[in-house]
Amino acid sequence: MDARHFEKISDVLWEIPKSHRPDMRVPARVYATEAMLSSIVSDRSIEQLINVATLPGIRKYALAMPDVHEGYGFPIGGVAAVDSTHGVISPGGIGYDINCGVRLLRSRATGDELQPILAKLTHSIAREVPSGVGRGGSVRLKADELDRVLRDGAARAVEMGYGDEGDLARIESRGTLPGADAKLVSDDARGRGSDQLGTLGSGNHFIEIDRVAVVFDVDEAARLGIARDGIVIQIHTGSRGLGHQVATDYLRLMTKAMAKHGIRVPDRELACVPFRSSEGQRYFGAMAAAANFAFANRQLITAGIRRAWKRELPDDAIEIVYDVAHNVAKIERYEDVGEVVVHRKGATRAFPGQPVLIPGSMGTASYLLVGEQKAMRETFGSTCHGAGRVMSRTKARTEINANELRERLRDMGIIAEAGSAKGLVEEAPEAYKDIDAVIDVVARAGIAKKVARFVPLAVIKG
Amino acid sequence: MFEILQHTADVRLRVRAATLEDLFRDAMRGMFAIAGFEIRDSGFVKARVAIDSVDLTSLLVDFLNAVLSRAQIEHVAFDDVTLKRLTETEIAAQLIGRPAQFTQDIKAVTYHEADVRFVSGEWETMLVFDI
Repeated sequence: MDARHFEKISDVLWEIPKSHRPDMRVPARVYATEAMLSSIVSDRSIEQLINVATLPGIRKYALAMPDVHEGYGFPIGGVAAVDSTHGVISPGGIGYDINCGVRLLRSRATGDELQPILAKLTHSIAREVPSGVGRGGSVRLKADELDRVLRDGAARAVEMGYGDEGDLARIESRGTLPGADAKLVSDDARGRGSDQLGTLGSGNHFIEIDRVAVVFDVDEAARLGIARDGIVIQIHTGSRGLGHQVATDYLRLMTKAMAKHGIRVPDRELACVPFRSSEGQRYFGAMAAAANFAFANRQLITAGIRRAWKRELPDDAIEIVYDVAHNVAKIERYEDVGEVVVHRKGATRAFPGQPVLIPGSMGTASYLLVGEQKAMRETFGSTCHGAGRVMSRTKARTEINANELRERLRDMGIIAEAGSAKGLVEEAPEAYKDIDAVIDVVARAGIAKKVARFVPLAVIKG
Repeated sequence: MFEILQHTADVRLRVRAATLEDLFRDAMRGMFAIAGFEIRDSGFVKARVAIDSVDLTSLLVDFLNAVLSRAQIEHVAFDDVTLKRLTETEIAAQLIGRPAQFTQDIKAVTYHEADVRFVSGEWETMLVFDI
């Protein structure tokens, strides 16, 4: 696969026609510049996108965002809309970290007010929010309590005292995916997640305190309560071990069930069943439950940040700007294709006017965007989700020195509070693509509009 | 024998063994080498795993995922396995390990690149771990 296989639709949109492979049901489209394309074809992400284009019931195109990279079955940064009556659902199109997502909070403080207490505040947040491999939290739920979290998501967390009703209005789907069925979540999944509510985890998950460095759209920023030099906080995490186990359980179930439904796929990780089948509906109910666990998780983490903030800045108040999922499947209706199951794996919903949160790597920048009308016609209301990894964790560990990285971050005015040196170097800025270039593509494509750019002041990692 | 290899976002493991039993055992040990751990207690922990799958490759991946679940729920690093039954589609095994604290979170063992084959007198496969 190389750049010659693509037909140019525009400077930032490329297509592999349906005729490229006999089993493709729709074309595969990639949002990228020509320069990015040559890098994208260096891994198997486009081959995976072509495989996605073979899924029964897929409509219009299989889509890849500019942060695309190789995943399992689906590429990360992939979007597929599948007919809800005649099409399939594939856990590979959602990923192992169900409802991994980003929440953006805002403070009323300015950078100048925060600077003298930043180190203490960062440490205080790190103490309030458990992070790191296998770290459990202080919240231990009994089975029936966990059931309510799985059913009601962030709404249940608010009932438990972690936030208020106003928070829910600023979360995608109000923090509760409908159709969640706790009975469909296995004992193993419950076992892996029972003590993980309110915890950050490890890997690329983080909490980051940022300064608003640039405001691109003053009106949109004002609508969302964002101003230049203001302070925002990002939370990036998902459904923890519970979601990982739900994905594993149902991928195995579907691998077994495919023969019964007469479905063959070019990659085992694309295992799928008809959405309307018993197995499809069971996965959808369990996935929604795991997604609700993730919404509740980010709600409890928000409460932890608020507690720390209150101690250090008693007159300030932390409000939610928005919370979006970037690993989830949702039933949506579009004028041209009707009702579809939109699989977004490493891709963010970007409905017109909806805030979109795109975290970069620590040491670079992150973006607040809003969705555009064009996304509804071209990308099933979707856009990118981040910078996208370019360096393996092993290579990062060999090539990057933790102390040098800490020093470099300190020279940039960034405080890094990491549970381990390994966790820090694996997520070094050079391990990721250029976030500015990724954002430029989605803005030029007209599927999302730039609102503000944030630069990090402090990072908390597991 | 196992070898940990690079992957852009995650980790690859190449496993080779003279027998199928050893392939399953070495793949499990490779998984715990990726997870990294510190033993917390000198006591031994035993657990049973019995599963069936559609073919040999799925069986290995499903077996490792079952072991991973037990390990994460019970905080145990398993280092040996006694196979009670092993066919192309079924495995029943007893695991032995020690209480441990892991240093790397593994979300799942994926089917990506997995392909259990008998080549040039030995069993081999690649495995990719989502971390």
